[in-house]
Amino acid sequence: MSKGVLLFCFDTQDTKYHKILERCVELVKKNLKVPITVITNFETFKKMLPMGFVNYKFIEPERGNKLGGKDWNNVDRHLAYELSPYDTTMVLDIDYFCFTDNLTQCFHTDYDFLVPDRAYDLTGKNSFDLRKWSMIPMVWATVLLFKKNDKVKKIFETVKYIKKHYQYFNAMYRIHGKNLRNDYLFAMALQQINGFIGYEKLPFALPTLPRNCKILTMTNTGITWKDHNTIGYVENQDVHVLNKELFDV
Amino acid sequence: MDISELKKQSDLSYNIAVAKRNALEKAHSRQIMAYREHLFRADPQTICLVRTLKESHDSFCVLDTNNNPVEITDPAEFLSVLIKRNQESLNAYHQIYKTFTKKDI
Repeated sequence: MSKGVLLFCFDTQDTKYHKILERCVELVKKNLKVPITVITNFETFKKMLPMGFVNYKFIEPERGNKLGGKDWNNVDRHLAYELSPYDTTMVLDIDYFCFTDNLTQCFHTDYDFLVPDRAYDLTGKNSFDLRKWSMIPMVWATVLLFKKNDKVKKIFETVKYIKKHYQYFNAMYRIHGKNLRNDYLFAMALQQINGFIGYEKLPFALPTLPRNCKILTMTNTGITWKDHNTIGYVENQDVHVLNKELFDV
Repeated sequence: MDISELKKQSDLSYNIAVAKRNALEKAHSRQIMAYREHLFRADPQTICLVRTLKESHDSFCVLDTNNNPVEITDPAEFLSVLIKRNQESLNAYHQIYKTFTKKDI
């Protein structure tokens, strides 16, 4: 049974996502030690530094989604099932940095589909209490673990259906943001296909740095950030960084 | 104590509290472990439950983190893995905690 990590990376006019990818790949190789496949386009690929053994698959990203007024090419996650060459796949956002091997534990399980439903604010401000922003508990599609089987295929088919009718589902679930977020897409699909009862989850909260945190330094073991007048630091702990200007570090 | 000194001490206490909280969260994340293709928390409750059941049963069922039942056929091995993971995470927390106590007001 093959297993590996799948990463999506498309540069935009404003953000050099390939720089974030280079750091992410380095940490995945060091700590998770599994094969990596990067889904990208040729335009982004040309700018990447050589990263050793990495598989690439080229697609043209679907455009039109925005985040903070800037282009955000993130709506291709629904293709993960068919694009993944692995029997067990872990899809990671490229701004999720694996400073530990904690996620390798998930590869040794027989769950069909796992996703975390909690995020943990490393600045101590509890800024990810998102209940008030929709009528559905959000999941964090930052980390997805899935196996290739009929059940999971149906989950992804549901994701595609909801994506196609996103405006309708977005309104039905009274989601505050109108742009497409994979987090809500998967939350809605999982709720729909699981009979509105519940589903299996990754049992930890994603340690996350909010968008307003400025990243000061990043090494192979940890990250330092500035949040207003406070400097924070974690070492040997996975971190999801929402500030996309990370590539300047 | 003047107000600037009070603010300084308060900020220091806040920063230590946040750092402690992060270190504890890190320990909790580290306690998640796979055993027999299921995820478990190597926390005191799981360790105590396994230890208690092991005293009178050669095999038994416990729930994983998603409430799926898992048959444990080698309780000694499972307990050993749980304790190892628990102590690894808490030792790391302890090391970080010692740096906070030096900074305490």
